[in-house]
Amino acid sequence: MAPARGALSPTFPDASPAERALADRFMAGTVDGRRGRAFEAFARTGLPHRRLEGWRWTDFRAALATLAPVTATGHGQALPVADGAVTLRFSGEEIFLPDSLPDGLILHTKADAPALAGAEEAPMAALAAALAGRGTGPDTVILEVCGRVAEPVHIVCEGGGAEVNFARIAVIVRPGGALDLVESHLGGAGLSSVLIEIDVAASGQLRRTLSQRGDAHEAQAITALVHLDEGASYIQTALAFGARVARIETRLVHRGTGSAAVLNGVYLCAGGQHVDFTSHVRHGAPACTTRQVTKGAVLKGGRGVFQGKFLVPRDIGQHTDADMQHQALLLEQGAEVFAKPELEIYADDVECAHGNTSGALDPDMLFYLRQRGIPLTEARAMLTQAFIAEALAAAGGGTHEALSAAASRFLSGVSL
Amino acid sequence: MGGSGFLQGFAMDSRVKDGIDQETVAAARALESENYRAGFSTDIETEYAPKGLDESTVRFISAKKDEPDWLLDWRLKAYQRWLTMTEPDWAMVEYDPINYQDIYFYAAPKAGAKYESLDDVPREILETYEKLGIPLREAEVLLGVEGAAETAAAAREPRRIAVDAVFDSVSVATTFRAELEKAGVIFMSISEAVHQHPDLIKAYLGSVVPQSDNYFATLNSAVFSDGTFVYIPPGVRCPMELSTYFRMNAENTGQFERTLIIADKGAYVSYLEGCTAPMRDENQLHAAVVELVALDDAEIKYSTVQNWWPGDETGKGGIYNFVTKRGDCRGPRSKISWTQVETGSAVTWKYPSCILRGDDSVGEFYSIAVTNGRQMADTGTKMIHLGKRTRSRIISKGISAGRSDNTYRGLVSINGKAAQARNFTQCDSLLIGGDCGAHTVPYVENRRADAQLEHEATTTKLSEDQLFYVRQRGLGEEDAVALLVNGFVREVLQELPMEFAVEAQSLLKVSLEGSVG
Amino acid sequence: MLKLTDLTASVGEAGEARTILNGLSLEVPAGEVHAIMGPNGAGKSTLSYVLTGKAGYEVSGGSAWLDGHDLLALDPEERAALGLFLSFQYPLEVPGVPVMTFVRAAMNAQRKARGEAEISAPDFIKMARDIGKELNLSADMLKRPLNVGFSGGEKKRLEIFQMRMLEPRFAILDETDSGLDIDALRIVAEGVNALRSPERGMLVITHYQRLLDYIVPDKVHVLSHGRVILTGGPELALRLEKEGYDGIEGAAA
Ligand SMILES: Nc1ncnc2c1ncn2[C@@H]1O[C@H](COP(=O)(O)OP(=O)(O)O)[C@@H](O)[C@H]1O
Ligand SMILES: [Mg+2]
Repeated sequence: MAPARGALSPTFPDASPAERALADRFMAGTVDGRRGRAFEAFARTGLPHRRLEGWRWTDFRAALATLAPVTATGHGQALPVADGAVTLRFSGEEIFLPDSLPDGLILHTKADAPALAGAEEAPMAALAAALAGRGTGPDTVILEVCGRVAEPVHIVCEGGGAEVNFARIAVIVRPGGALDLVESHLGGAGLSSVLIEIDVAASGQLRRTLSQRGDAHEAQAITALVHLDEGASYIQTALAFGARVARIETRLVHRGTGSAAVLNGVYLCAGGQHVDFTSHVRHGAPACTTRQVTKGAVLKGGRGVFQGKFLVPRDIGQHTDADMQHQALLLEQGAEVFAKPELEIYADDVECAHGNTSGALDPDMLFYLRQRGIPLTEARAMLTQAFIAEALAAAGGGTHEALSAAASRFLSGVSL
Repeated sequence: MGGSGFLQGFAMDSRVKDGIDQETVAAARALESENYRAGFSTDIETEYAPKGLDESTVRFISAKKDEPDWLLDWRLKAYQRWLTMTEPDWAMVEYDPINYQDIYFYAAPKAGAKYESLDDVPREILETYEKLGIPLREAEVLLGVEGAAETAAAAREPRRIAVDAVFDSVSVATTFRAELEKAGVIFMSISEAVHQHPDLIKAYLGSVVPQSDNYFATLNSAVFSDGTFVYIPPGVRCPMELSTYFRMNAENTGQFERTLIIADKGAYVSYLEGCTAPMRDENQLHAAVVELVALDDAEIKYSTVQNWWPGDETGKGGIYNFVTKRGDCRGPRSKISWTQVETGSAVTWKYPSCILRGDDSVGEFYSIAVTNGRQMADTGTKMIHLGKRTRSRIISKGISAGRSDNTYRGLVSINGKAAQARNFTQCDSLLIGGDCGAHTVPYVENRRADAQLEHEATTTKLSEDQLFYVRQRGLGEEDAVALLVNGFVREVLQELPMEFAVEAQSLLKVSLEGSVG
Repeated sequence: MLKLTDLTASVGEAGEARTILNGLSLEVPAGEVHAIMGPNGAGKSTLSYVLTGKAGYEVSGGSAWLDGHDLLALDPEERAALGLFLSFQYPLEVPGVPVMTFVRAAMNAQRKARGEAEISAPDFIKMARDIGKELNLSADMLKRPLNVGFSGGEKKRLEIFQMRMLEPRFAILDETDSGLDIDALRIVAEGVNALRSPERGMLVITHYQRLLDYIVPDKVHVLSHGRVILTGGPELALRLEKEGYDGIEGAAA
């Protein structure tokens, strides 16, 4: 049911200017029931803030006082993707879709937003669901993968300097289908929120590789909601450089027996940059595996956040095999790393573990390199690159080298 | 919706709990209440404060203890503050709302709180302690009978333990007082200390756990009844273990004790705490506050064996154990070490913590938490690193059985000034049976590039292969489980003083009876 | 070439500092190889770290000059660029950094610091392959991360490999012989001897006279309690073998 227009304001008792602007945007367009419910779910919390348990270290409300255009139209280049890639571009109000598609790939656009399950748990995703499209383009772009598609699909989100950039994309992998999905999130908007809904059917495979950039005037949220059916495989690799606040959130449900997920990520934060990797994995079927490696390196004035959770429900989660590792380097004084690796387990026949470390590079290792003549900055870069390499190793779509090179550029630009 | 109370003191407004799968909960296994050997109650005439809580209750308690005005004011201020607060609900525990107007906030044996000689102590109380396994001879000592201290001391060589026994709201007696006084150690009930050492109480009470810290600590500040006060003077190594034995006897009564331990420069003390309560159908509230202060080079070792009545197999009755324990390593090179064995209570909510303020200070937390039946425990620690080169170590072993939930919740926070801080955390959970839950919720905040933090956690079930191996060698199933569980928790048991370690081992076995097969 | 005068150094925080080098003086002219022997804890490794600039050692007195450069004023990599090389007593494992990548980065960094051109990739690979062969290190091993999973002997050979590749002007070998079987010892010694030349100097730290059968030193210094207590020719090493350090220390006292 669509909320009456006037009735919306009470859900924002202490609305910030940015939240009021978002409400105005919502009211200005056509309001259908599903959008209304998504916006209500968002309005329940407003822009998520530090008093919410899941957002204690990543405060969108504080970071985004007003909604305003930005000077940067985007940051850096989209990832170079293997030949024949299909590109979808989301830029402010405009969406550019490819003219032709490879075999096995079907593209649908939907003018009305589908319902978003679990909207309450992901307020930024709910916001994207409420505001994506809005008349100027389709509300949702759906990619249907009906076979093993050789060419990667590349999604580029670049705001072009707009106030906001919202996108909602669904990827449906049919049984036995396979796809390499690459995403370049280049910022260029005051607030970006991208929602990706992924369904991988039995024995399907999806490899998702994404890179995120932004600057100190931007807030970015990238939320993926992933469902895996029996024997499905999902491999995610993310490299993030942050923004004023940047949240890369993955909410994954193992829904069929024996599905497997890999969730890897690397964050590299310079001063004033903030990256938050949050994941919630529900082992809702027996004998599923999750492997998660997140690595980070942070400079003075930067902040890295890792929040991971494995939830293993009673009975159906038996034979879960899940491991979560987060390792961070604070490269300079004044860097911050906050972590919350969480296990919630109700089934007894499981193997679950997590590990978390944070600290500096090993001084003895640094000395060894310097004794051989490698200058300090380069030695740090080399060791840090080696430290993060593991978490980039599973990148797909021919992007591995580009990701490593981007990390390396960041690390060698580090003057300490 | 989430809540962030665990990290902001404890005053909180929302919750962390999600995902409990109610439908798939299978039938509970019977947990025999007979296992709880401390479950009897003592029939003794008791004096109560009027039921419920208002300002007059606070005045009643203060008047009973003949307290100075400053303390009454302090209590009233806490009470006013408490009225503005809401009960926290962020922990992974669920319980029926507490009706604060249905609780007695003060209960004392009628014959009076202080006993000059054996004859003055009601026979029922003596028998209670005897039944609980606290030796009568020691109980005699506890009553201050001339010469008994020496006899008891000789009987217990080489280790001796001085006991402060708290029966419901009052401390009934403290043992080995004379000998401790010789060493300059002050060991008495906190009500007495208010009169005899007002300067120390004024200086330290509420200095580690401020009145407004959290809902239950504020409540305690308003209505605390009794508890233990310890002061170890500079350079003194306390000549024996000190301990407090808490017993909740009266029905519908809350226990709100307050413990304050100060180790002055270079002092050392090891302190033990044990708790039991009768089996009753209603839930009883225990909201204690423990404050530890370690000055320069001082060390405090605080061990707890908590065996409050956990409720019956259907989850009826049992203690709500909502306790605030915090140590302040105030001086350089000071050390505070918490060791806990938690087997009792229906609901536990407890995070013994260390504020590592002094440079080179050390905090430790060793914990075994066992839940069975319908128990819920949300426990862990906070290590707040403020000083340079501060070090902390956390070893937590959680064992869940029956239909219980067992959560480790911890915080390691490295302040921007805590150069070269170190932490090592190991959290292991063991699940016995498929109807229980084991959860790990660590928060790690690092603001120092030269800090070194390491955290590891595992969740596994009791290995069937190991179980079979042990049984093949002839052990019965329950002994086999006990053996393997003892192996699982060994690192923590080693930290306990010997007598407690033995007691803890048998408690573990009893707590887990009926959990397999 | 290398001139140490009254070198005094300590470890530990101020207040609890412990003096390890205690007025150590020593001179190694170009073209010579000197051995340093001494009991465990004499300060041999400390000397190698102080000369190469490891953090944590406080030099409170004396000087160390290499070819007219004040070593103590330089960063570790600057000392390396002057041609100072240390074969570590305990080579460190560096996960994720392959040997070849590492040595090439080091070589080019040193060349850059000296204003020389970088080595070309084919030249580098050829050089590495040739030297690797001499030291019995396969191309496969050179692709693996530095020292990770290498045996003790392999690590020591890898140190010599790096030395040969980087062609230092002055090398310090800290117990490179310990833990080596006789064949490996010969391989290592040959590697060292291959570098001997009139422009180069070396300090060979060892416990055993055995290595000195292969690398014949010009001089032998006995180090005890952080200073040189006795200096002699190669025959001093034989005497040490017979009389032990106690005997020598007694005689020197
Ligand atoms: N970082 C350090 N901190 C404290 N003591 C040290 C340190 N490094 C060396 N030492 C001490 O200095 C002495 C000399 O050590 P070292 O130079 O390794 O001896 P050697 O190599 O001759 O066996 C030993 O007593 C050793 O324990
Ligand atoms: Mg040595």
